[in-house]
Amino acid sequence: MKSRRATHARRASERLRLTVGRALLLAAIVVAWELGARAGVIDPYFVSRPSRLAQTMAGWFAGGFIYPHIWATVQEAVIGLAVGIVGGVLVGMVFAFFPFLSGLFHPLIVVFNATPRIALAPLFIVWLGIGLTSKVAMVVSLVFFIIFFSTYAGLRDVDVNLINHVRVMGGTRRDLMRHVLLPSALTWIFASLRACVGFAVIGAIIGEYLGADRGIGWIVQYGESMFDSNMVIAGLLVLMVFVATLDGSLGWLERRFSHWKQKPL
Amino acid sequence: MITVERVTQTFETPAGEFTAVRDVSFRVSAGRFVSLVGPSGCGKTTLLGMIAGLLPVSAGRIVLGDRPVSGGVPPDIGYLFQRDALLPWKTALQNVALPLTIRGRPAGETRARAVEWLRRVGLAGFESYYPHQLSGGMRKRVSLATTLIYGPSVLLMDEPFSALDVQTRNLMENELLELWAETRNTVLFITHDLEEAIALSDEVIVLTAGPGRVKASYPIPLPRPRNVIEIRFREEFTRLYEQIWKDLRDEVQASYARATRL
Repeated sequence: MKSRRATHARRASERLRLTVGRALLLAAIVVAWELGARAGVIDPYFVSRPSRLAQTMAGWFAGGFIYPHIWATVQEAVIGLAVGIVGGVLVGMVFAFFPFLSGLFHPLIVVFNATPRIALAPLFIVWLGIGLTSKVAMVVSLVFFIIFFSTYAGLRDVDVNLINHVRVMGGTRRDLMRHVLLPSALTWIFASLRACVGFAVIGAIIGEYLGADRGIGWIVQYGESMFDSNMVIAGLLVLMVFVATLDGSLGWLERRFSHWKQKPL
Repeated sequence: MITVERVTQTFETPAGEFTAVRDVSFRVSAGRFVSLVGPSGCGKTTLLGMIAGLLPVSAGRIVLGDRPVSGGVPPDIGYLFQRDALLPWKTALQNVALPLTIRGRPAGETRARAVEWLRRVGLAGFESYYPHQLSGGMRKRVSLATTLIYGPSVLLMDEPFSALDVQTRNLMENELLELWAETRNTVLFITHDLEEAIALSDEVIVLTAGPGRVKASYPIPLPRPRNVIEIRFREEFTRLYEQIWKDLRDEVQASYARATRL
């Protein structure tokens, strides 16, 4: 008991040291950046300055300029994510249960998945316009395949032993689905969900960057066309905070739903 | 009662037809504990798979009670697999309860019976543990409870204890005999360990090296209740062991010779 408490205390102090260390590292980078830019060691025309960036972002948030843009990006990413996940799960299930269909479509899926999605973005914009739909299509084209492959693998690669175990105890196809196949697929899907969120935001930003009238990607693109590195970097910072928040909340969700899993040693 | 009549199993392989078991016939009367021993690769697991309806037979006939096994898993059988087959995303309690959940029993009754069965296999207090949090022996106990909770009249066991260390294994063999003394299911137990087969069974059937055929069958007239550790010291045990081993030795050597020639 005593030793456990000691381990606990040691872990807590390690965590604290790490947190403090990280904060100091960040502070050092910011200070070096600010001083370097002020002293003229690095050119603020290209990399701006933390104080100016803070001012710009504060202005964006206080003046309300940024909210419609964040909202646009969130909307594109979230709708695309939802459509991609639902579509990927459904098609993955159909293909897992109908091997002929899977064989039929396999080459097509491989080719589409190998296509760089950024090359499709101009097409989506031509087809669907510069509004919401083309960005959603972009996001779906990225998310769908990840979820599709996870679902398919999760359903196909179930341990035969588990299936036989449930069959022998009297399980019907429905029982197999509910107690074996779906939980197995869910673990695979959850494992890829975090990657999907990252890709969803990337898809939305790329879409906005190539043709839009709003969104964080649009801010970055607009700043670039004005040669305003301050605006570009401030846009990227907003994006970073946004993605980190999203990823953090997903990590939390993942931990809650995979409590049955063995932690790596 | 299990009746296996002239059962053959052939598989198509890239190298041609492969016969796993050929023309096997035997019978296990209701309430008896019978072991199948044979060298590795003699088709023991294939045989169990066919009895459980997981594999169709190529030729011959299998009857459980008075119902022929064909086209699917027969009702009322239990199967303890060699490898762990617990669902990793369910707790020990949920795993044990699953057969009752599947049968649509009320949740309260299901839970109470699962708790009771976990206690009977010595795992009271481990209800909310996930399989990965349990030791190999504990997982086997959960598997055993999962198989016994719905009271199958036929119990198929495929080298269930082979992955356990010797001490745990002997303990579990004794516990199995104790539980079986209460439930009295018909048991067909597969093992390559002759000592285990004799210590547990009413009858030991020796299979030949693959393709498996029945070579001989020996009644085991040792008294019950038995203690699997102490019974090994009895003279009759040694005598039976020697007698059966003479049969088994040739098959083990044949199987080994074949495996090393490849």
